[in-house]
Amino acid sequence: MKTLLLVALSAYIVAAIHAVLSFINRRRALERVAHAALAVGFGFHTTALAVDWLRDRIYPLFHRSETLSFLGWALVLFYAFVFRRYRTHALGSFMLPLVALLVLAASVMQADGRAMPQLLATGEAAWLFPIHTTSLFLAYAAFFVVFIASVMYLLQERELKLKHFGMVFHRLPSLATVDEISAVATSIGFTCLTLGIIAGMSWSFARDGRAWRNDPKEVLTALTWLLYLLLLGQRYAAGWRGRRAAWIGLAGFTLVLCTFFGARLMGGYHVFG
Amino acid sequence: MSIVLVGLNHRTAPVEMRERLAFSEEACAQSLPRLVDGETIREGLIFSTCNRVEVLTATERLTASDAASRIGDFLSQTRNVSPDLLRPHLYVHADEQAVRHVFRVACSLDSMVVGEPQILGQVRRAYALAVEAGTAGRVLHRLLHHAFHTAKRVRTETGIGAAAISISYTAVELGRKIFGSLAHRAVLLIGAGEMAELALRHLVKAGASRILVANRTVQRAQQLAAQFGGEAIADERLTEALSQADVVICSTGAERYVVTPEMAHQAKALRRNQPLFIIDISVPRNVDPRVGELDDVFLFDIDDLEAVIESNIREREREAQRAELIVDAEVMRFQQRLRDLDFGPTVGALKQRLIEMAREEYQKRRARLGQLTPEQEKAVEALLMATVNKISHPIIHRLRRSYETGDHDNVQAWRDVFGLEDEPELGKEFDE
Repeated sequence: MKTLLLVALSAYIVAAIHAVLSFINRRRALERVAHAALAVGFGFHTTALAVDWLRDRIYPLFHRSETLSFLGWALVLFYAFVFRRYRTHALGSFMLPLVALLVLAASVMQADGRAMPQLLATGEAAWLFPIHTTSLFLAYAAFFVVFIASVMYLLQERELKLKHFGMVFHRLPSLATVDEISAVATSIGFTCLTLGIIAGMSWSFARDGRAWRNDPKEVLTALTWLLYLLLLGQRYAAGWRGRRAAWIGLAGFTLVLCTFFGARLMGGYHVFG
Repeated sequence: MSIVLVGLNHRTAPVEMRERLAFSEEACAQSLPRLVDGETIREGLIFSTCNRVEVLTATERLTASDAASRIGDFLSQTRNVSPDLLRPHLYVHADEQAVRHVFRVACSLDSMVVGEPQILGQVRRAYALAVEAGTAGRVLHRLLHHAFHTAKRVRTETGIGAAAISISYTAVELGRKIFGSLAHRAVLLIGAGEMAELALRHLVKAGASRILVANRTVQRAQQLAAQFGGEAIADERLTEALSQADVVICSTGAERYVVTPEMAHQAKALRRNQPLFIIDISVPRNVDPRVGELDDVFLFDIDDLEAVIESNIREREREAQRAELIVDAEVMRFQQRLRDLDFGPTVGALKQRLIEMAREEYQKRRARLGQLTPEQEKAVEALLMATVNKISHPIIHRLRRSYETGDHDNVQAWRDVFGLEDEPELGKEFDE
């Protein structure tokens, strides 16, 4: 339902503006407004997704507009999780504007054709496809959190090394906190990514006996998976953290962006919308 | 008599220069006799901390600029720094300005963090060293005691020291930025100085629970460790201790790097790359600056801390302004007392000299007077004293005016006319 999404969008915009203002003015009251608006937006957003699903009987995660909308929804979910756990006041001002932007893009783009999903929804092992897409977009959202946390880490690390503290310094969470957020988000993202890849391969295999197609998107995703595997492995095995982990977090997210947008340009099996 | 102070501090000189100029206590004891020649530079004191190196002198028959250049030469010779390198960093204060400077330093108004209390102890120590070396005389005795008195007034009458303190406070703040919370963090102290102990106290208050102490003298390490329920570390276990610590406070008197990049690298590997926060408050620096280039190792030397601390200074500025008023009043009082102090002995010496002259002449002529009755003897004596008084009265009047206006040349001229040499030693009268 377009109206529901537009209400959600308005709420998200209010939330984003208040989050940014609370970051600048360091006023907790503004943050509370942001969170209230966010809760309202999330409610409407969730309803909009559910209504779409029930009405069309098709899992609403296929078209570009749907993917952007879902990504925004997933980001709100992660934001809520991180805030509840770490009480990091700065994160909202980075994440919520992006949520608003994603949902705005989704609502502008919504009127496109719906030819493909029927085919997908009825074929062999069709139940695997929603798991494939949902897992992957949750992974992308988690990796965005890693990205934000890495940026926060590197900004502050730089200021600490240069011994010059700017405006941002006193407003960001401590290094230990952002590093931990990054570690947790990496684990969640990696789990989702793995699940998404397995689901996708199983689905493909069930349909035509081919699990791997050397499609650009598949190759990039495999690279992304390897990179985050390396990051996680080194975090646990060799105690990589801090600066090095943050740089890998940045690199990983760049790969994610390439997978999401770039694979389209290279053509192949995974081209939609 | 003039009071001349020459020095440099954290505002005028970088740490590289300050560490080259810094005097250890032994160096102080050795150099002070070289500075004080007893003729023109009569008294001297060297005040050397990580933030400042200052030479305070009481001089005689020397213009302030001559005294300053002699002190500058003294610094460049004893510390082996070329005068051209040194000069741009030095400041010179004379007389009232010097008194004010000493008072402000003792009151911690000139400190990196205004209101930090350690400085008074350091001034006391520098004074004690000068007393031991025998280079503190009547002027410095009086000046320093008055400075202590002023510092005490400032501390009790203003809120300058009420807020959190200097290096220690900054250490806690930065620690929180790096570790989120200091609860259950381990702190390693390398060198057990007063400043380090204070920083430790703050970190413990902020939640740090494990304390390691490494010190050159083992007893001191054990004593401090016992006090905080910590553990004394032998020097050879330093790398291991580094690997266990989250916060390291380094403040030894060593003139070399105690923590090298190799050690830090090793420790980092042992602690699986967990961040390490090192505060090097020693001058000369004890932690190789290259240590700070390692990933996730945050090294702050004394200059770096200054940047962080600057904002705190602004917060204390208001209280400091009240302290400045107290200092102003005390400087005036001191100047008055100093004038009295100089004036009394000079007048005494002058009268003494005149009486001697009169008696001498009388003794020479005594025989010609023949037999005198005791009454006559008394009358002659009274005549001599009356004459001496009559002659000295206008001179004393002029002298008093010269002292009050600070006209040392005029005072000196009178002293020269009557050949007054040494002033009587008055050191004992100070028990403030």
